[in-house]
Amino acid sequence: MRKLLTGNEAVAEGIIEAGVEVVSGYPGTPSTEVILTLLPLVKELGIHIEWSVNEKVAAEIAAGAAWAGKRALTTMKMSGVNVAADSLASIAYSGCTGGLVIFVADDPGAHAGMPEQDSRYYAKSLVIPMLDLASQQECLDYVKLALEISEKIGGPVFLRSTTEVSHAASNIETGKKLKLEKKEAHFTRDIAKYTKAGSTWCMAQHQEALNRSVLALKVADNYVTESGIKVNETHFEPDSPCGVIYAGAVEGNFREALKRYQLKISWLKIGMVHPLPEERIKEFLAKVDRVLILEELDPIIEKEVLRLASPGDGEKKVKILGKLGHLLPLTGNYSFKQVKNALEVLLDTKLEAEPDPQLLQRAKELEVKRPTSFCVGCPHRGTYFALNQAIKNLKYKKGEIIITGDIGCTILGMNQPFESCWTEVAMGASIGLAQGFKWAGIEKPVVATIGDSTFFHAGIPPLINAVYQQVPLTVIILDNGWTAMTGFEENPGTIPLKEVNRTRVDIAEVCRGCGVEQVNTVDPYRPEEAIKAIMESLEYPKVSVIVSRRECALQAKRRRVKLPQRQVDIEKCTGCRICLNTLACPAMVFHPKEENNKPYMEITADCFGCGLCAFTCPTGAIEVIKDGE
Amino acid sequence: MENNFYLIGVGGQGVISLGQILADYALEEGERVKFFKEVGMAQRGGPAHSEVRMGEVFGSRIPPLSADLVVVMELAEGLKTLELVKPGGMVILNKKKIYPLDLMVHPEKYPKEEEIAYLFEEAGARLFWIDAGEIANEVGLPLAENIVLLGVITYLASLDKEIILAVLKKNIPYEVEKNMAAFDRGYKIAEENIAEKEKGEA
Repeated sequence: MRKLLTGNEAVAEGIIEAGVEVVSGYPGTPSTEVILTLLPLVKELGIHIEWSVNEKVAAEIAAGAAWAGKRALTTMKMSGVNVAADSLASIAYSGCTGGLVIFVADDPGAHAGMPEQDSRYYAKSLVIPMLDLASQQECLDYVKLALEISEKIGGPVFLRSTTEVSHAASNIETGKKLKLEKKEAHFTRDIAKYTKAGSTWCMAQHQEALNRSVLALKVADNYVTESGIKVNETHFEPDSPCGVIYAGAVEGNFREALKRYQLKISWLKIGMVHPLPEERIKEFLAKVDRVLILEELDPIIEKEVLRLASPGDGEKKVKILGKLGHLLPLTGNYSFKQVKNALEVLLDTKLEAEPDPQLLQRAKELEVKRPTSFCVGCPHRGTYFALNQAIKNLKYKKGEIIITGDIGCTILGMNQPFESCWTEVAMGASIGLAQGFKWAGIEKPVVATIGDSTFFHAGIPPLINAVYQQVPLTVIILDNGWTAMTGFEENPGTIPLKEVNRTRVDIAEVCRGCGVEQVNTVDPYRPEEAIKAIMESLEYPKVSVIVSRRECALQAKRRRVKLPQRQVDIEKCTGCRICLNTLACPAMVFHPKEENNKPYMEITADCFGCGLCAFTCPTGAIEVIKDGE
Repeated sequence: MENNFYLIGVGGQGVISLGQILADYALEEGERVKFFKEVGMAQRGGPAHSEVRMGEVFGSRIPPLSADLVVVMELAEGLKTLELVKPGGMVILNKKKIYPLDLMVHPEKYPKEEEIAYLFEEAGARLFWIDAGEIANEVGLPLAENIVLLGVITYLASLDKEIILAVLKKNIPYEVEKNMAAFDRGYKIAEENIAEKEKGEA
């Protein structure tokens, strides 16, 4: 059947067709939609699908299922591999009996922020074979392939995507749902395989993992998928001395250029990027004089090709073009223009004229910048407003108090008008980093702000550390009940929906359980109480936690929560814009002074009713016109 | 043959759902489709865009100078598309202006309509102006701004009206009458405008 699916939706389709029985993951752009697509089908599919507390736990769950003989898959973004890597390294040594696939989505171009790290290195260092996805069709086909390889070699397989593949949609052919033999869960005790006690076992396991990688390449190198895709494919144009070696998402732009300029050049597509098909590469190099390497991020393939191309006595020298000669950048995802320009260098010819640079420059100058702030009704707006106010009330100057921020929506507190957060490192890092500032000798209070899901993910160990080391610290947990930034996934603090069986974990209780003596829960829609609690916390001599709790406004809106509606009394409004300048709510519109009119604020129909603007208004011009329900 | 549509605006305007309708249309038509959507910070008032490519295409992003039709839902956002417009291609300019915080106080800093038009004309584009927001208000469904534009696109790009309407109903199953009215208004305005232009040229 023909369907229009994004890469991530196609991965989900692949999971269904491949008969995967356990799917785990932690949300992270650009990987999130795989599980988001599957979750509504959970009953129908009769399999286990979950948002785990973090990627490490997710990977362990998938591995456990695969060790019990089931097909399992775990999903994460590239940052998540860092978290899961510790476990994955050991899991890779042990191998598996059921198929085990780690789906990781990299983000060249950092569309979602965070380091552009290249996960392909992990394939090498963890000794796990890796398939690199080049198209949406492959997303579906390679899930099946990866599981097949995994079961054949008896070890886990990485399936790597990038934003360009994961988030774009294309018409693809769905395949057949595999009919797998029904297996009972069974795990055989084998401590030489599943534990790491002693160097003999560890080294033997290491060797086995290396052997499995070699085997993986043998399976993949000449493999043709159900829809007809060759995993590694060589195409020779007998009359051209030029060739291209490519892998991953660049395929679209490369093929586009081939068609557009009717290029006749040889090419080698690499679908399995670890281990690389060295023999195939050598054969290719033997037949070309100039080779362009197209791969995003690091020159991993390029370096290997350079090594393989080093001429022995009497062999010809092949010119290699790519990142090492600065033809292509180490950062970002390749645009069509970059691929075209690189091909122009390879072929030593101009392929197409470019748009008028002066015109583009002028347009660039005129562009309107749209700094992002919190959504309408976002409870975080209230928390950062209260935090800034508390700092001011204690007579500190703005910019005197270090506030470490964390991953997720909460980091938007770095932007105007709050300008609160100073740092963003990694999940949970706000709390650890803040302790470092204190030990370095920062005498004024240090504050860490973190979201609920981020806290569960990696914020608990640093909090325990702060308690144990008696660090005076204010930790503000902005608890909106959802993993919101990535698209409103559930986390252990989410109030369970009626149809699912979950036990909610209360963050305030967790903090008390960690030994924090002062834990205050406040409502960010009630700035007076939030300001007071934060002021107390800033002066508290040990670590103290503020749980600023209010459901994400977008989710509350979906549940049809109705809060009091407000309006601006134009007579009372002086047009001072204090509300706008302190809150920057997207539901506010300022009307500047016109000939017969005074300036005034307007609250649009988008208003959710958080009421913060009324709190900031010095003239009391914002009044309730309809009570909430 | 290929047909490249580039749609741009600000979060909440329906840029993505408009792209989805066009992509679903192409699938119905049996064409090869590539559909790219950029949302990112759209929920928070940030920019949003989508690209729909139909026909013999491989990349999911439209190469420079290759957009047959650019739909600018928020005027200033259109400035980002100058590189993409195909000379002789069509640009639909919706008159909607959405001010970020600092421009609310200084609306005079927002780029002038004439200057935006001038740049597009220099890039060799044919322009089609419309105030889709006003029409959507008249129809009684302010959210249908993108559907008014769908009507315009359907006429200007000579898409199969029956199929487009079927996809529209499937994708937006609520407020069907108002959405249909919004579509018709857009379609007719395009039809009349082009007829007038042709009369002028004759």
